[in-house]
Amino acid sequence: MTLTRSAIEAMAPDQSALSAASALLKPAKWPVRAQSGPLIWGECQGSGANPYRVVADTSDIGSKCTCPSRKFPCKHAIALMWMYVDDAAAFQPGAIPPWVEDWMGRRRKGASGTAAATGASNPKSMALAQEDAGKPLDPAAEARKQASAAKRAQDTRNAVRAGLDDLEAWLTDQLRSGITTFVTQPGERCRRIAARLVDAKAGALAGRIDEMPSRLLALPTDERVEAAISEFGKLVLLMRAWRATPDDPELRREVVSAETRDDVLSNPDSLHVAATWEVLGERVSTRRDGLVSQATWLLNLDPHAQLFALLLDFFPASAGKRGAAFVAGDRFQAELVFYPARSPLRAVIASRADAQGEHSWPEPPADPLAAYAASKLDAPWRIEAPLLLPQGRIAAEASGRAWWKAPSGGALQLRVSPPSLAFGADISKAAALWDGARLGMIAAQSNWGRIDFNA
Amino acid sequence: MHDLDASLAELRNAWIAGRSAIESAPPAWRDAVGEDELALIALAGHASDVLTRRTPGAALVDRPLLPHLNAPFVPEALRARFRRLLARPKNLPSLEQHLIAFISARGVAAHPADWMPDAKDDWAPDLYAPWLDWIRADTRAVALSDDDISNENYELWSWTERRKALAELRARDPAAALAIIAAKAGAEPAERRVRLIELMQVHLSEADAEFLETLAKDRSDRVRSLSRGFLARLGRAGDTAALAAELAAMMSFEKVGLINRRMRLRMAALKTGAQHQRRHELMQIVSLGGLANALGATELQLVEAPEWQLEEVHAFSAMTAETGSDEAVRTLLTHLVRERETQLSALLPLTARLSTAERAAMLPELMQLDGPVPEATLEIAGDRIGALPLSALAASPAYNAIRANVEAAAGADDNLRRNAVPILEQILPRVGLLLDQAGASALLAQLTSWGLSPAEPMLDMLHFNAALTPETTP
Repeated sequence: MTLTRSAIEAMAPDQSALSAASALLKPAKWPVRAQSGPLIWGECQGSGANPYRVVADTSDIGSKCTCPSRKFPCKHAIALMWMYVDDAAAFQPGAIPPWVEDWMGRRRKGASGTAAATGASNPKSMALAQEDAGKPLDPAAEARKQASAAKRAQDTRNAVRAGLDDLEAWLTDQLRSGITTFVTQPGERCRRIAARLVDAKAGALAGRIDEMPSRLLALPTDERVEAAISEFGKLVLLMRAWRATPDDPELRREVVSAETRDDVLSNPDSLHVAATWEVLGERVSTRRDGLVSQATWLLNLDPHAQLFALLLDFFPASAGKRGAAFVAGDRFQAELVFYPARSPLRAVIASRADAQGEHSWPEPPADPLAAYAASKLDAPWRIEAPLLLPQGRIAAEASGRAWWKAPSGGALQLRVSPPSLAFGADISKAAALWDGARLGMIAAQSNWGRIDFNA
Repeated sequence: MHDLDASLAELRNAWIAGRSAIESAPPAWRDAVGEDELALIALAGHASDVLTRRTPGAALVDRPLLPHLNAPFVPEALRARFRRLLARPKNLPSLEQHLIAFISARGVAAHPADWMPDAKDDWAPDLYAPWLDWIRADTRAVALSDDDISNENYELWSWTERRKALAELRARDPAAALAIIAAKAGAEPAERRVRLIELMQVHLSEADAEFLETLAKDRSDRVRSLSRGFLARLGRAGDTAALAAELAAMMSFEKVGLINRRMRLRMAALKTGAQHQRRHELMQIVSLGGLANALGATELQLVEAPEWQLEEVHAFSAMTAETGSDEAVRTLLTHLVRERETQLSALLPLTARLSTAERAAMLPELMQLDGPVPEATLEIAGDRIGALPLSALAASPAYNAIRANVEAAAGADDNLRRNAVPILEQILPRVGLLLDQAGASALLAQLTSWGLSPAEPMLDMLHFNAALTPETTP
């Protein structure tokens, strides 16, 4: 099977997929486009924070994309093939990256043939898709859309306010019935109030409460009461802050839902930081609400107050296992745009290019916990914050519990056991997440080079 | 800080009991929150997060820094592929031990961020002895000087270094090694006693017999079995004539052939499963010498004469490897290889008795007896892995299987394609471990020309092999 425009049209699941793909044909949306033999691949800066990795085999028109779309092929795969058909020379010859090899090993060849056959009975047109993309917006329709959005926002505020009233009553109930009772069976109790908050359109807050039991139960029994008090306190602070300023974008994000990528990019209050970034690591976890959270932590290698960035995406667990967006240790130059916040952290990538020159990790602050305390003053509801730790060692108690230990003697307990090497390494700098009780190490620089941890 | 801890504890106690904590709050906090219980929990939670910090229950112990190894690491550019090879998909068996042996044979070591041995990984190449000692927290001074291991300094060596030093001494001066093993093995735990006595396989001689006989009453079954086997190899089989006679009665050893008269050893036809079971048990107990005596022959006459089915060859081969003399082992091996009707897996116990150099020299010939998936060849290669020329592969069943399955994988028949890929996923990584660097490069070129994409993950090991230049002559 040869890759042609008509083959792409036949394979596309519907006309809307072609229209969406036509909006992705701008080279600026593709920091990476390359080919080797019949394979073409690229990275597309889609609506998520992490870029989507797209690969296609031009010999049989098989394809794969890391986006969560249920359409197959998705608009990113169609756009990649479309660009290749239009201008193959724009795809640089390159060494096949590991994630493409990984796809080669997993794919079931021949699947695309079925899609093509199905699509043949449902004619679609790339030319029409490009016409759709070029159509001017109707001002009247836009105005109606904005009015409708404003009404929806007001409805949401009213619903959330009612939901938070229920949350406040729930918190009071937990204290009244004894917090020990709560920590012995937090799952069912949290599930009920989280479901109520979902109904009240406070989806982000519901997700946070749904995850509270797993955070509590990961701790030893004797620490759970204290941790529950901390969790409740943060909920109170967040709830009351939202009530005071429901239109504050950071609070709205924590309680209702996050803005879209386009909202962040167009917001004049968003912080833009162009720098060289290193991928510290990735944490993928499946939440109780059926969503998978993919968090990628970045470290700024240029001198700048904005030391860390978090690329955060959510997608349904039913969409299947998703490949990592980056390899830990990758470095690139990028302009990141941060979601507006008192202490900005979550970001999206506006543009990206290969890293230039040599860079080393920045110098850690003299007291990393002072930075943590400062960030807690800005956003006291935050569950954890990244730290850049100075020189230290990983040491263990006789019981085996591991701690990060500064030469001065201060120690922070690790959340999970580190790899063996960490106990035998002289750590010069380390990046970690601190939640007030446990340290989730992400990566470290040591006399053995970089050490990756399971944060 | 003490006051804060005490205040927080009082608040906690109130909330644990389900009563209001307002009265338990410090006055300044009470002034700030009034009667607002939820505001108080916000304050308490924040104070607990920021102002208090848990301290270790006991003193923290700094481990010594991980020692350096006497070899360069896998080159930086190859580390990502090396990590991928270590993390093979869950549906495929791990090739970890072979991969570690492979890089050691090329003169490089794994970076500790990619791989480190576990405390129980005694199989790890000697190169990793300093890391094994570190993991086992065995901090006895390794850097002793250039002295040989001796009865006087034995306890100063870490276990890993001790075993390594004794193996070297045994190869160089068997009597000196025997003297140390005889004096010190008794004080070691059973697992280590076995490892020490195994070292005596090299240069096993009559001089070892006296010590081996003292092990007949050892507490460990494995030690007793090992010493029995060694004594049998020296012609001092301890089995009873009655058992040997019972086994001999289940075999036939007779002259056959009209013109070329020769002896033939065969298993007698048995009637019941119980009889088969008994014969199998006897072959594990009776020594080759004992059986030869019972049949009125010599060990060499027996091993030159077997003619039987696969399962029986396995048992006889194991019996010979366990209790036969070096000459009997080599004769049987030569005989079975020449016959070319025996699966290579049946010969594994016999090849284990050969020296490393002998095994490496025989490998191309042995590989021809292996199946399409060269699993047994990989076992036999041991630490001489990654040195097989492409010509040796080309003469083996693995090569034909590769070609046939690559063609099927590239073909149009879905069923054939579905079956071919899992087979190639078994064969190609193993072949990638066996071949020398030039062979891996040449095979990659062939596979690509046959239609396999260079990006196929099943080629990872071949790519790794082709890119890993030996640091020293393996």
